[in-house]
Amino acid sequence: MKTKKAIEETYRLNCFVENRPGVLARIVGLISGRGYNIQTLHVGPTEDGTVSRMRIDVLGTARVVDQIILQLRNCVNVIEVTCRKR
Amino acid sequence: MWRYGGAVVRCGAKALVEGLERAGVEVVFGYPGGNVIDIFDCVRTAKFRFVLGRHEQGCVHMADGYARSLGRPGVALVTSGPGLTNTITGLGAANMDGVPLVLVCGQVPLDEMGTDAFQEADTTGLTRAVSKHNFLVKSADEIPETIAQAFYIATHGKPGVVVIDVPRDCQRAQTAAKYPARVSLRAYHPERFASSAQVNRLARLVNAARRPIIYAGGGVIAAEASADVVALAHKAGIPVVTTMMGIGAIDSDDPLSLGMGGIHGEPAACRALADADLVLALGVRFNDRTAAALPRRQWARIVHVDCDASAINRNVQVGFGIVADVKDLLATVDSRIRPASHDEWVTRCRQTGDEGDCDACATSPKRGYVVPKAVVDSVCRAAKGSLVAVTDVGQHQLWAARYLRHVRPRCFVSSGGMGAMGFGIPAAIGAAIARPDMKVVAFVGDGGAQMTAEELVVAAELGLPVVFVVFANGTLGLVRQMQKADFGSRFFATTMRSPDFVKLAGAYGVRGVRVSDQARLDAAVAKAIRTRAPVLLEVCIDPETLA
Repeated sequence: MKTKKAIEETYRLNCFVENRPGVLARIVGLISGRGYNIQTLHVGPTEDGTVSRMRIDVLGTARVVDQIILQLRNCVNVIEVTCRKR
Repeated sequence: MWRYGGAVVRCGAKALVEGLERAGVEVVFGYPGGNVIDIFDCVRTAKFRFVLGRHEQGCVHMADGYARSLGRPGVALVTSGPGLTNTITGLGAANMDGVPLVLVCGQVPLDEMGTDAFQEADTTGLTRAVSKHNFLVKSADEIPETIAQAFYIATHGKPGVVVIDVPRDCQRAQTAAKYPARVSLRAYHPERFASSAQVNRLARLVNAARRPIIYAGGGVIAAEASADVVALAHKAGIPVVTTMMGIGAIDSDDPLSLGMGGIHGEPAACRALADADLVLALGVRFNDRTAAALPRRQWARIVHVDCDASAINRNVQVGFGIVADVKDLLATVDSRIRPASHDEWVTRCRQTGDEGDCDACATSPKRGYVVPKAVVDSVCRAAKGSLVAVTDVGQHQLWAARYLRHVRPRCFVSSGGMGAMGFGIPAAIGAAIARPDMKVVAFVGDGGAQMTAEELVVAAELGLPVVFVVFANGTLGLVRQMQKADFGSRFFATTMRSPDFVKLAGAYGVRGVRVSDQARLDAAVAKAIRTRAPVLLEVCIDPETLA
């Protein structure tokens, strides 16, 4: 069976996280620690002051991005992660 | 301490020590310093035992060995700055192998943080990559709840390391905060259960398989599911291969036990994994040493069960993944598994083929040396089934992993994922404190032994009956072996002068014995294991012996 070469595409991750010090660093570290660049990063408050929203664009293969999402969900301060292809 | 409006008011340091007591901590390993001195003043009168290591890396490895052999979280307490930076290797080793461990460390006062104060380090930054979670306490009032949350996180979901950074002013400030009755974390809910569709599909696959294999990893040990795995194996007639972290999940004499798989594993176990039509991988994470021995064509035949969703499809793309606690899942699926036997397949799995020459198990050693397998065999015989085997990292680790017999769950303690040299001596001390009912034997090489030799004095000070077996060959054997195989025997930086370990042990107050004659091996090992005090056995190994 011929394996298809995995295509790198940009994915947008929408994360809702607890608004605490260190959460941003942990999330960014998790992505950069795997050797992937974050293309854009937005962090802002939500109506609930204890929750922040992060929008992260990363370039990667579907497999790598899936892994990133699962590892983000393992983070103690991450409430929810959704993802769509840009 | 006084009462104010019905609440007990005490300093943050006292609240922290009370928190550890409330969390059920019985032993704390640590090393003092300026920014934890207030906590140490309260530890002096604490209900738990305190063990003073000689280096912070050693303290964390001790807590790690304690946690692995007992199945309860290990706790370490160190000071800020260099105290914390010295723990990093220890934290990484524990976290990579999913060991529950809580590290409390001091920090400079909050208003000095970020000023390059004396013994200041960015603890949360430094430990982020080697921990599951970390906390920076910002006020004394947060301390009790933070302790409770730390133990919850360390022990729920895939276990791991949690670091609590406590600035000195928070240790000294007064607080009336109470230890919470229960922990609730808004965003962390690690419990996962298999759906009934998944359970049914798993049962169908197991019932239909003609050549099934169970591949049991450290997750089986961590979930206390060894007996359940063995019960399933016997009910459905499935042979069992383990990973290195899964050693102990099944007794070596069980007719269904095939030993360890992976690139350093038994050839028969690897053949079975390659020939199976169903690989039931339980609590494994398919790290590179494991996955490399598994042909790619087998990936679709893997059913991967793990409590960590991110472990599934990380390194191998499996046919069917289930995120669940192994013990829960096996209990649920049990009623749907039909009793079966696969006698022909089991016989085929157990056949030993051409295993090649094995100089680690040669029957007659060269003059002046003992054979590694003979050492491991001798220890197993002398310990009579009540052995906790702790290893360092290197050739001796692989020899121990392959040749140990009758290891019970939690009785093989080894730094698998991180492969941290220096783990063996302190982890064995931690294991000896955790399991005074067992014979603790540390297998170490002469490289790793020199990395944490200072902890030997702790074994002497506490009179712990640990046997430290140093496999002395004057080389960094496993790296040398790679230079031989992959670099045309261009040996470099892998042969070294070792100290006289017998004298070194003596200097630390540990009795040292050198064994260079295989005829004297059994008697020396038996005597060391009988001794109610620490003994170091330096066994002379031929540097040409490969693992």
